[in-house]
Amino acid sequence: MSAAAPGTSKAAHSDVAPKRKKGPGALATAYLVIYNVVMTAGWLVIAVGLVRAYLARGSYHGLYYSIEKPLKFFQTGAILEVMSRVFLTWAVTHSVREVQSEDSVLLFVTAWTVTEIIRYSFYTFSLLNHLPFLIKWARYTFFFVLYPMGVTGELLTIYAALPYVQKTGLYSVTLPNKYNFSFDYYTFLILIMISYIPLFPQLYFHMIRQRKKVLGHVEDYSKVE
Amino acid sequence: LSRAKKAVVFFEVEILDAKTKDKLCFLDKVRTYFFSSYPQWYPARQSIRLDPKGKSLKDEDVLQHLPVGTTATFYFRDLGAQISWVTVFLTEYTGPLVIYLMFYFRVPFIYAPKYDFTTSKHWVVHLACMCHSFHYVKRLLETLFVHRFSHGTMPLRNIFKNCTYYWGFAAWMAYYINHPLYTPPIYGEQQIRLALIVFLFCQIGNFSIHVALRNLRPPGSKTRKIPYPTKNPFTWIFLLVSCPNYTYELGSWLGFTLMTQCLPVAFFTLVGFIQMTVWAKGKHRSYLKEFRDYPPLRSPILPFVL
Repeated sequence: MSAAAPGTSKAAHSDVAPKRKKGPGALATAYLVIYNVVMTAGWLVIAVGLVRAYLARGSYHGLYYSIEKPLKFFQTGAILEVMSRVFLTWAVTHSVREVQSEDSVLLFVTAWTVTEIIRYSFYTFSLLNHLPFLIKWARYTFFFVLYPMGVTGELLTIYAALPYVQKTGLYSVTLPNKYNFSFDYYTFLILIMISYIPLFPQLYFHMIRQRKKVLGHVEDYSKVE
Repeated sequence: LSRAKKAVVFFEVEILDAKTKDKLCFLDKVRTYFFSSYPQWYPARQSIRLDPKGKSLKDEDVLQHLPVGTTATFYFRDLGAQISWVTVFLTEYTGPLVIYLMFYFRVPFIYAPKYDFTTSKHWVVHLACMCHSFHYVKRLLETLFVHRFSHGTMPLRNIFKNCTYYWGFAAWMAYYINHPLYTPPIYGEQQIRLALIVFLFCQIGNFSIHVALRNLRPPGSKTRKIPYPTKNPFTWIFLLVSCPNYTYELGSWLGFTLMTQCLPVAFFTLVGFIQMTVWAKGKHRSYLKEFRDYPPLRSPILPFVL
């Protein structure tokens, strides 16, 4: 299922999940399956866009520009999202078993899932030059709830992991050692939580600005044939 | 003997705002007069160009040599608040000097209270402090007496970015090197001695290059020439490398890493190396563009490699 997704480390997800024990593993597995399907669809869309552009032009020249917009949407701003999701998935939820049964995990997984389904439908339709206003509206409106929901879930999950990290010294390095280096994962997690304070409002207001810009042009867009 | 009368052409200059295309004013002597009409935009923050999206014209560009007729239209863009290079350098280098010393003397609130104002029992820690301090004192003195800057100023926000980088890394390195639980290099005196030799060699090398580059450029000028090896053997590296100052700088920090055997130092060296490589490649490219007879054997920063 993840064969068509080039070079994504996420492809490994579906291999790891089934090996994990029952119970909380089911939720993570479900999320990962959905995630892989959706990621595949997204990259497929970009791939299709490239092939169509190549066939239309008859050369590789300028191919990038045919998928530039969706690719840029895909990557920019999503970089932070991607990084925070990789982190949440592997460095927190996967690493600290005790956290996997928390409701907060369900909270952010739901938020991510709904966001991604809307987002990738948006890209698909954009590339096919047939973007139903409803999808565009959903993309720029649902985030009002989904962003805070996801952030809350993520923060609660990290917070839930803290005592276990401190107790077990997970991913931590102490002095003395021959490399004269130390790392306290517990403190690191707290710093991550603090970083949400400047980062989240910036992302949120960026989306609000984007919304004004995009949905502001209602007259031009309604249905692109 | 009579002097031929030179024809003087007066230009009527029209400056439009690059974004709004509104007529700003008529000028005949560009930047200074512009400034006297718009005192909030001192010359250093004026970007004047012939095309709104084009490259900024330099102070030394002569109006008569520009591709304009008797009427010239220039476009203005505000570069934002500017700060002089000298100010930035002095600030960003003084920080690490002071910060490292605070850790070295184990000022309170850094390590456990029982270590306040104590000194390390390892002699390499004292050596490292001397080397680190020497390095930044050297940089400060070079900024004041050696370097000749081609740009007077840079954007103000750079000082925050640069100081965060230098000061942050200095604190991070100094914390571990001067830590009560510091572990000295595995191979002991041999390792430290070799590291010190590398460090000193590269410091002298780096200084030699700075002096050589300074001598390329007469005082007050902004001319650019190809640097060549001089009588000083430390400059012979110019045969193989375009920016040997960066090469030597990398060497110095590799020496310091070896001396302290400290992972944060290694990391700082790596990040610095990446940044200097980017700069070296840029400089190398502009040398190649500007000088058709540029020596082909040279690499940007590492002989034959990079």
